[in-house]
Amino acid sequence: MNGTPFIELNGVQKGFDGRPVLTDLSFSVARGEIVGFIGPNGSGKTTTIRLLNGVIAPDGGDLAVGGFDPRHDGERVRRMSGVLTESAGLYPHMTGRANLQFFADLYGVDEPGRPDELLAEFGLADAADRKVGTYSTGMKKRLGLAKAMLHRPEVLFLDEPTNGLDPDGIRMVLHYIRRLNQRDGTTVVICSHLLQQLEIVCDRFLFLMGGRVVEQGTRAELEARHFPTVTLEVETDLALAGSEYRGVRAERVGPGRIAFTVPGREAIPQLLRSLAQEAAVYSAAPVRRDLETLYFKITGGAAGE
Amino acid sequence: MAIARKDVQAITANLQVWLPMLLLPLILGIAVPLGLVLVFRFGADSMSPSDAQAVLGWAEKLPSGAVAAALAELPELSQRLIYVGVNYMLAPFFLLIPLMAASVISADSFAGEKERGTLETLLFAPVDMLSLFIGKVLAAFVPAMALSLATLLLCAAAVNAAAWPLFGRIIFPQVNWIPLVLLVIPAIALLAVLLNVFISARVATFQAAYQLGGMVVLPMLLLVVGQVTGVLVFSVPVVLGVGAVLLLLNGLLLWQLLRRLDRQQLFASQVR
Repeated sequence: MNGTPFIELNGVQKGFDGRPVLTDLSFSVARGEIVGFIGPNGSGKTTTIRLLNGVIAPDGGDLAVGGFDPRHDGERVRRMSGVLTESAGLYPHMTGRANLQFFADLYGVDEPGRPDELLAEFGLADAADRKVGTYSTGMKKRLGLAKAMLHRPEVLFLDEPTNGLDPDGIRMVLHYIRRLNQRDGTTVVICSHLLQQLEIVCDRFLFLMGGRVVEQGTRAELEARHFPTVTLEVETDLALAGSEYRGVRAERVGPGRIAFTVPGREAIPQLLRSLAQEAAVYSAAPVRRDLETLYFKITGGAAGE
Repeated sequence: MAIARKDVQAITANLQVWLPMLLLPLILGIAVPLGLVLVFRFGADSMSPSDAQAVLGWAEKLPSGAVAAALAELPELSQRLIYVGVNYMLAPFFLLIPLMAASVISADSFAGEKERGTLETLLFAPVDMLSLFIGKVLAAFVPAMALSLATLLLCAAAVNAAAWPLFGRIIFPQVNWIPLVLLVIPAIALLAVLLNVFISARVATFQAAYQLGGMVVLPMLLLVVGQVTGVLVFSVPVVLGVGAVLLLLNGLLLWQLLRRLDRQQLFASQVR
């Protein structure tokens, strides 16, 4: 992570009715980063967004967004932050355009064309004059995102931004988040449990469990930490004798399929070359090590949806 | 202001909200007064003397001699009945109209915001709580006042038109309506709004807010009963007294509300 932290939490605690939700939350996010905030339901992701926007107060600890403490400078924090809540928070009896116009007024947006620009950007131009109550879940989500971006926020907090979206909608939203980040340097915090989607768009990941961050890092850092070895599943007619092949751990996992475990990616080309010289190789693929696998490894497999 | 404008548009755009709200003013504020004038105009002669005396005697409770003087100038029984009827019997209706309108609008505006899940979004916006509060109060207060005053104007037009052949001049409203319109009607509308804010910030659902808010009507009904039974007559001092009590209640509520105007507290208690 480069630069001074844009978002910083230190030992933050928060409970509701005596039930602790955040016990010792500490993490930081650099300006311009896209961070995936991952954790099971009820782990405190939404609570963290609320704390960072100063709409609820922590029981203890320190927190800052853009140099401001949301407890005391909530107004300034909210002015620079855009939030997409899980329910999108739109007025069903108003049209899409009227909703955006209302929030533009509320956020003091001084660009008359901004609502229409965003409606077009999120593929809602044709539905702009329809009441939001008639929108599909995906359309509401996209409009909610457009709403969060009206005032060109410096930081975006997105709570389950792709929930309820179809594949096209998911692609549109993720593409937009990435583009916004590259174009304007917007810092983005995405809470989600749809891990495969986060993989595409996030620079770094934070795993939240038991009210604190239990693991964090870039994809490469996490892999190096949790998967020190690489397992390659190869479809081959190699006659394997024993549990080793040229010093590499090998195990037959099915008819004509052998799993080789090498110490790192660097060892793969050499292994494949040797194999190709000795036997026919039909296919080779690393055993799934996506974010989901990581997630279950980190959370001990207990925390699933 | 954006909030007030949005809420007012929401009311005017939704037929289901404003149509029932128009019904009460139409009946209480226009149909009943017009009926009263017509009944007295054409039926005064067939009224039993005791009934007529009941209405006129009721007006004698008024402390000022001005009414007696005004009545003395009216030779016909029907004229006296109409004069007393419209100027002194209609007042409670014009308290119920702002009360109902302000209650309906403000219950929807606050509890509705919560129910739709939009309160969370509003609290995430960079709008200070005082602006949010003022916007919400205005959004209910202004339409309720507009509705009440429009009803009063229409009522005056209908009553004076129907009574014109008998009087040849404008007889309604008289001076006792000035403090009613300038003081009591705004104060009662504000009270209904503030009470609804107070209630809906503390209960969970729109229905609960609406039911509790409806209880504001009860003291008003007492005023109506008082009026009908002749215990209370809407003379200028009574109107000023009612106005003073309402202002005091408004002041107390406002003080309480402003003291507790806290975003974090509201969010914690209202957003799930």
